[in-house]
Amino acid sequence: MMSTCTPLLRICSRAPRPSLLPFTQSRHESTTRRHKKLMHLPEAPSYTPNRSAPTLIFNPPSSTPSVYHTPLKFLPQDDRRRKLYSDALTYSSAAAHRRQTSALAAPGTPLHTASHLPPKPSAALPPPVRAPYDKKYHLQAAEIEQMRALRLSDPNLWTRVRLAEKFGCSQFFVGLVVKVPEKAERVERGHQRVRDGWGERRRGAREDRRRRKDLWGRDE
Amino acid sequence: MKRIRISRCGSQLLAQPAPRRPLCPYAAGLQRNITPHSQRIQSRLQSTTATSDEFELEEGEQAQAGRSRRSRLETKHTPLEALPSPHPSAAERSSKLAALRSRLSLPQRFPLQTLARTLVHPSADPNPAFNNASLSALGSNLLGYYTTEHLLCNYPRLPMSVVFAAEYAYIGPKALATIASEWGIEAVAEPGGEVDPGLLQFKRLRPGDDVPAALRRQAPWKWNVTTTHKILTSDEFGTPTPFGSASLPKNEPVPLEDSAQSFVRALIGSLHLHLGRPLVKRFFRDHFLSRHLDLSTLFDFRTPTRDLSRLCAREGFEAPVARLISETGRLSRHPVFIVGVYSGKDKLGEGAGSSLDEARVRAAAAALKGWYLYKPVEVTVPSSTEGELDSSKWRPNMVDCGEVIV
Repeated sequence: MMSTCTPLLRICSRAPRPSLLPFTQSRHESTTRRHKKLMHLPEAPSYTPNRSAPTLIFNPPSSTPSVYHTPLKFLPQDDRRRKLYSDALTYSSAAAHRRQTSALAAPGTPLHTASHLPPKPSAALPPPVRAPYDKKYHLQAAEIEQMRALRLSDPNLWTRVRLAEKFGCSQFFVGLVVKVPEKAERVERGHQRVRDGWGERRRGAREDRRRRKDLWGRDE
Repeated sequence: MKRIRISRCGSQLLAQPAPRRPLCPYAAGLQRNITPHSQRIQSRLQSTTATSDEFELEEGEQAQAGRSRRSRLETKHTPLEALPSPHPSAAERSSKLAALRSRLSLPQRFPLQTLARTLVHPSADPNPAFNNASLSALGSNLLGYYTTEHLLCNYPRLPMSVVFAAEYAYIGPKALATIASEWGIEAVAEPGGEVDPGLLQFKRLRPGDDVPAALRRQAPWKWNVTTTHKILTSDEFGTPTPFGSASLPKNEPVPLEDSAQSFVRALIGSLHLHLGRPLVKRFFRDHFLSRHLDLSTLFDFRTPTRDLSRLCAREGFEAPVARLISETGRLSRHPVFIVGVYSGKDKLGEGAGSSLDEARVRAAAAALKGWYLYKPVEVTVPSSTEGELDSSKWRPNMVDCGEVIV
């Protein structure tokens, strides 16, 4: 009771205890002048035209790419847009190379302040979300027979997970090879019993989650 | 899709060799009053002008039919209230019709009588010589033809279900009813000969009554109706039974939406007959294609990642790999992940989501949309070469091998 009534400042003032508040303030430069200079971002090139005549400024906010822009790989061979895409790619990479930061401009050096430049073009792709794998197709008829026999002998011991580990295949494949309807029914009954114990909020949340998942494929 | 032959369609409607039904007597006078603007239109009108012997035939038939057949020539003796729909001669005096014609920027040579006829739904006047059923059938085929060729030539890779949905969005019953209301079409409370011909004439459905069975959406007769079956046997929207009032019983009340769509279709049909193809195409472009439809919202993928890997395998690309482009707040309550789907070194699509799975699935869906929404640079629709002797401008359209089937 007392601790909840303690004002916030007193918590912060206690130095030895680790603070619960995040300590976000940080300065990367040793003087205020250098720090302000660092924070000063150059304006976008589209807003600082080199001509005095009025120009059209097209500077859309970053957003997901339009699905109406067909990717290069999906264009037919005889489409004229293939050449446009490759031209745009060479131009943008050449421009980025031209404005690339020199190797000396590492953080901490005096050259660092002017290094607000577009990222360097890199050939490296982003990391994959899930480890990519190839299908092996390594199981023969005898192993599939063995898998079936094991699963049917004791479905509780030889679950899909254990069989998948043993034979180096996916659980989905084990399910394709051998089905144990009795166990599936038993497991389903247990799940249903748990679901019957849910209250209104939890059930509603699950239903909403399923409904939201349906929207993924509709892109809404 | 429906296959129609426009020229035959038009000629069948125009030339009525054996007038078993009484012709609209004002059709002849109206066509004589027109000053032809071009030689082509003149020759076509002359070939279809109702001649005087048709009048004789009609009058002879009327003598035979006796009291059962209504005689519109003797309107002076019949009260206006006895007619089921306004008399064609009232069209010249209607300010609403003239206003509608100028609002739609139709030329003066488009007769007001025809415009009045397009506003008469079969539920108001069952006589096919005075209602818009035939014009509506022609206009429906024309609308379907122009929309389909626009979609298929501009987006050759669209899946068939998306084509159906896009057709429904462009020229479906609801879209046509909206267009009619935007044109300022007002409906009568009760059709009759004495009302203004500039109003939409149809028999209203009373509140609380059921829609007639012919207009109701019927369940498919088979549970597994395939896309091929839909292409071959259904209408342009992929629905098992065609919309429209073809099989509607006479004098049955209909909802406003059906009568409004029959008016828009009949207007297109009558424009085709009176003004010719180029003007109809321009009218279609101005009033139908100009409506914005975002095709990318019509997709609904169930297993986009699987579809995409099947697509890449089919087209001979490297297998797609989801890569994390950027992320923020992974341990917070609202993380954002931006995932791109790459095939080899090429990025196919990009998606953002609050979980890695969501971003991956969205990226795969975006990549699939990028494939399906491909649009060729130069497109020549087939109808642009109709009636032209010089075929050098024709460029063959791209034909895709079809959607991904998993």
